Amino acid sequence: MKESRREFIKKAGCAMGMVTLASQVEHFGRMTALAQKVDGGKRRRARLGSNYKALVCVFLAGGNDGNNTIVPIHNDASVSNYSVYSAARAPFGLAIAQNQLLPVSVPSIGNLSYGLNPAFGPQANGNNGIHELWAQGKLAFATNVGTLVSPMTKAQYQNNSVAKPYQLFSHLDQVVQYQAGRSDTFSFTGWGGRVSDNMSETSNPNGLVPMITSIDGSQLFTAGQTTQPLAIADSNTPLNQVLNPIGFGDDPVSQARLQSFNELRAVDRDNGYVDAASAITDSAMAANAALATFQDVTAPFPNTSVGRQLKQVARLIKKQADLNIDRQIFYVERGGFDTHNNQLGAQTNNLGEVSQAVRAFYDEMVLQGMASDVTVFMMTDFGRTMNPAGTGGAVGSDHGWGNHMFVLGDSVNGGNFYGVNTSNGTPFPNLLIDGPDDATNNTANARGRWIPTTSVEQYAATLARWYGLAEEDMTAVFPNIGSFPSSDLGFML
Amino acid sequence: MSWTKLALKAHIPGAILLIIFAAIALPAQIDPDPNSPVPILLSSEKDPVRVLALPLTAAMPDGDVEPQNAFLLGDTIRAYVSGIELIPGEGAGAFRIYATDGKKHMYRFPVVAVSEVKAKSPTYELRFTIRDEIGFWEQPSEDGDLLIMVTWRGLASNQLLLGVGKTGGLKIRRDSNESSKFGGGAQPEDYVGYRWSGDRVRFLEQATFGPNDALDQRIRRIGIRAWLAEQFQAPYPSASNPYPDIPLMPANINSGCPQNRGTPESNLCIRTHYSLYPLQIWFFKEAFYGDTQLRHRVAWALSQLWVTSFPTIQQSSHMIAYHKILSQNAFGNYRTLMKDMTLNPAMGDYLDMARSTKNSPNENYAREVLQLFTIGLFMLNPDGTYQLDINNEPIPTYDQDTVNNFTKVFTGWTFCNTGCPNSTLGAVNYKDPLVLNQNNHDVNSKSLLSYPNAVNPTIPSGQNGNAELDLALDNIFHHPNVGPFVSKFLIQHLVTSDPTPAYVGRVAAVFNDNGQGIRGDLKSVVRAILLDPEARGDIKTDPNYGKLREPVQMTTNFYRQFNVTSADGTQQSDGYVSPLPTLMSQTPFSAPTVFNYYPPNYVVPGTTLLAPEFGLMNTGSSIARVNIATFMSFSSVTVDNRNPPNAPMGTSIDISALTQVAQNDPTANQLLNELNYKMMHGTMSQQMRDSILTAVLSVPQTSPDVRVRTALFLIASSSQYQIQR
Repeated sequence: MKESRREFIKKAGCAMGMVTLASQVEHFGRMTALAQKVDGGKRRRARLGSNYKALVCVFLAGGNDGNNTIVPIHNDASVSNYSVYSAARAPFGLAIAQNQLLPVSVPSIGNLSYGLNPAFGPQANGNNGIHELWAQGKLAFATNVGTLVSPMTKAQYQNNSVAKPYQLFSHLDQVVQYQAGRSDTFSFTGWGGRVSDNMSETSNPNGLVPMITSIDGSQLFTAGQTTQPLAIADSNTPLNQVLNPIGFGDDPVSQARLQSFNELRAVDRDNGYVDAASAITDSAMAANAALATFQDVTAPFPNTSVGRQLKQVARLIKKQADLNIDRQIFYVERGGFDTHNNQLGAQTNNLGEVSQAVRAFYDEMVLQGMASDVTVFMMTDFGRTMNPAGTGGAVGSDHGWGNHMFVLGDSVNGGNFYGVNTSNGTPFPNLLIDGPDDATNNTANARGRWIPTTSVEQYAATLARWYGLAEEDMTAVFPNIGSFPSSDLGFML
Repeated sequence: MSWTKLALKAHIPGAILLIIFAAIALPAQIDPDPNSPVPILLSSEKDPVRVLALPLTAAMPDGDVEPQNAFLLGDTIRAYVSGIELIPGEGAGAFRIYATDGKKHMYRFPVVAVSEVKAKSPTYELRFTIRDEIGFWEQPSEDGDLLIMVTWRGLASNQLLLGVGKTGGLKIRRDSNESSKFGGGAQPEDYVGYRWSGDRVRFLEQATFGPNDALDQRIRRIGIRAWLAEQFQAPYPSASNPYPDIPLMPANINSGCPQNRGTPESNLCIRTHYSLYPLQIWFFKEAFYGDTQLRHRVAWALSQLWVTSFPTIQQSSHMIAYHKILSQNAFGNYRTLMKDMTLNPAMGDYLDMARSTKNSPNENYAREVLQLFTIGLFMLNPDGTYQLDINNEPIPTYDQDTVNNFTKVFTGWTFCNTGCPNSTLGAVNYKDPLVLNQNNHDVNSKSLLSYPNAVNPTIPSGQNGNAELDLALDNIFHHPNVGPFVSKFLIQHLVTSDPTPAYVGRVAAVFNDNGQGIRGDLKSVVRAILLDPEARGDIKTDPNYGKLREPVQMTTNFYRQFNVTSADGTQQSDGYVSPLPTLMSQTPFSAPTVFNYYPPNYVVPGTTLLAPEFGLMNTGSSIARVNIATFMSFSSVTVDNRNPPNAPMGTSIDISALTQVAQNDPTANQLLNELNYKMMHGTMSQQMRDSILTAVLSVPQTSPDVRVRTALFLIASSSQYQIQR
């Protein structure tokens, strides 16, 4: 009798898990997802009722320029107003005109008017974008967020009395710190991966796929100590094809080849690299069996990279009940934000794609009845310098620090800025170059790099708490969270 | 008969030829046996599963000592190994001690000293500290035995128990002490050049785009050193495959190409000038058929260090000019490469130096030339390990102020759009080096990198930008990090992902001084990498030795090994195979960012393995690799019906010889023998072989080519093959 594909893979998977566990010395360092299932299945707490929640990270790779993402429209001189912004950027051609900004009223700054980048508005042949979700209370910003070891004033920055995040302004290192959720030391794991390590057994005891999925390849954010993340292609590939090996028919010759292909992954695992490669393929084959059928989404998604990535996420969410999972974390990425030059056009285009895709995703979540269960949040490398780089049509900006992050969904306490106050008593920084929030040692080198007041881990912990991470596990996932006054910024309901 | 007599007999004609032959063949004689003569053995106690370990204070082991059974975390202790032979300068950095606990967590303990304790049958004392130096897991708990093992030059010792806190708690599997599954059998007498057959294939995996029979035979005849000498002088690219000569075009496609899109003329124009197509097919043809494999390979590695990328760089001519800098300097001096690349217009565009002026400076190139191309972020020891401060933290090499100062150095450069050999009306000149506009150059004084005996740590004000560029590049070039930084990068790309500090140190020493007082001689660096004992040998048993074949290498290794040919098998492939690595997440010359396709410090999730190429290995791409293995084994890149076709000839493998083998031997044993040698240099395990044989024998004997293809697929898709070791 021919076994169903799923049964076959399941058995193969179990067999491999046993082999892995049984070999005392052949297997270094890792519990595969499969081994975990075999090992932990009997000792888990009872599965909670159906209470699905998902976090979707949209990473704007390259360092989105926050200074042109949120701009003060107001003319109130007591906090940085449009004139301060314009004085720094207009002479170089990097300022957005006051009347083009999409206004939002900010309760935490006395209902002053700020403006979102015009790219967040409606687009022809597209949807209305995310700006209108502000007024509906579904969109919030955590402002002046950045990598920190502990809270830091400008004086402390200058006299080195407080440790700085390692390698400020370097892409690779700052991306690592955002994704790791800590800046006090190098981390092998990402905060998404650690949340998954911590919660997989209790939340997804019989999950058919890992808790965490990247639609953009391998990412530190998704890596845990024991979590083996799923990584799949975007919606150009149907879910039932993303992990499906081609060329195996039902004929005996094909089946013999498939059997050998599966057997080979169970042997020769005494080499660490061979073992790692085989474990990844094991995980892929197991997930492939679980993804044999799927339903497509209803809302129209833009045919952009980030649109297709979010569409694939929406397909997986639509299938969550089948996959036996209560909790999921997703990672999608839009690159091109390292705008050292030609920023105005490029950033508008990039943010427009993000806004359109995120809005389509939100609309799809509404249609699926999941808008309260799924929260989209942004991360990026760092902010950018207020002081432009280059001039004229080619004008851009250099690597900065503090930045603004959008959070979106029906569980978001939207329509406001959140975060620890800056020098001006609001969560939004003073935009003066060489001013009280500018990280610089001397006036000559001042470029307008905001010293963050809210740390990445405060931002992340707020999201993780909503997701269900227990208070007692908070420090295990965010080891440096105790260095900051609060682990809840209040933007989640 | 000695090999020299044989060679003389064969090469009587022509005195000049003879001299050349003698000059290049002579070193073959001195190729040492790359294999360890005996297994490395970690000494055990009377209890043969327990390591003989002593605290620092105890007397030397002499006869029946009663060693201490359990130690504490942080203890520095002594253990003993035999079966090794050290070369001058080889010390603690050549050894690694791995420990595994009952949870299968792997730790690495720092070896702090090595000394010879017995000269007659050489035995060495290793001093090491029981403290994990990787940091992936918490420190091991003091609750029983760990399983420990020593590795050296890619070879692993036996595995023995070490008590931490107390003994017990860990069951040990009896491990054979063999350190080599390969060799041992008599080699035929007529091997004259390089007789170690497994190592020949391994060497070709490291130094070329893939082994094939012809190169294997050539190395066997002339040896590795002679082949290297040839390669360092060989013309490049091949006479039959010159660099595509493509003119500079207007930035706007609509000005450069016919606007009636979709017509053959428009398609051809865009593909020729505004796509990667010409560079990619040239690149793969050279990889498939070129004789100067090593230069092509090193240039490819360097393209992943000094990254620029299409489509940010928009024209094929721009990327080809950039590749020429890489290949011209692949065996030259690193300082020359630094300057040529700094002034390469594609780089100037990609990292914004070409538009950085004193009034609107751009930090991009200044930051990345330091961080990515030369010295990295942290101070390195000569062996590539981090220097640590008193708090055990790494020490940054520079800060933001340094970046600001270098930014000023790099201001004022721009494209040479008039007056240079390739200046073209209506197009930006990406072929000639950037030129200085002194008026846009920041002439303030600068403080550059400071390090012991720093070269040009400051630049006075008022300098000419040309002179200043050389002063600043000298300041970077002489930073002590450059040698270990570049050496480790190249080792990772050619040989193994996580080289020992000793290996990095040996190569870095050659970078620092090639023996003739010259710093930065890449030819000597490449030679040192490939001849190092950690690279050579028929087999490597260290479980943490090796590297994942990157998608480009997986593609070329497979095709080269099986006589890559056109779709119909009558002529050469046209080189149009870039969709294959692209499907595996690596589009040649189109890295997603300046950080290349994968970060150099990537650690496989859930493991402690340093493995840059695994940045491209995840569930999705692992299946893509399987599918590409299926495609290459069973199918071919066929001639397409685009106008003009992307694949005018197509690409396939020629397995006629193997099919004959399969036909002649119904048991398929000979087929497996051949493939074991060609693809896995003799390391295929019995289990792997048995499994593949079963699948192969399920194919009717009447379809010998399907038998071959089945075996090819199963090997190519296996992790055992995809890890090059």
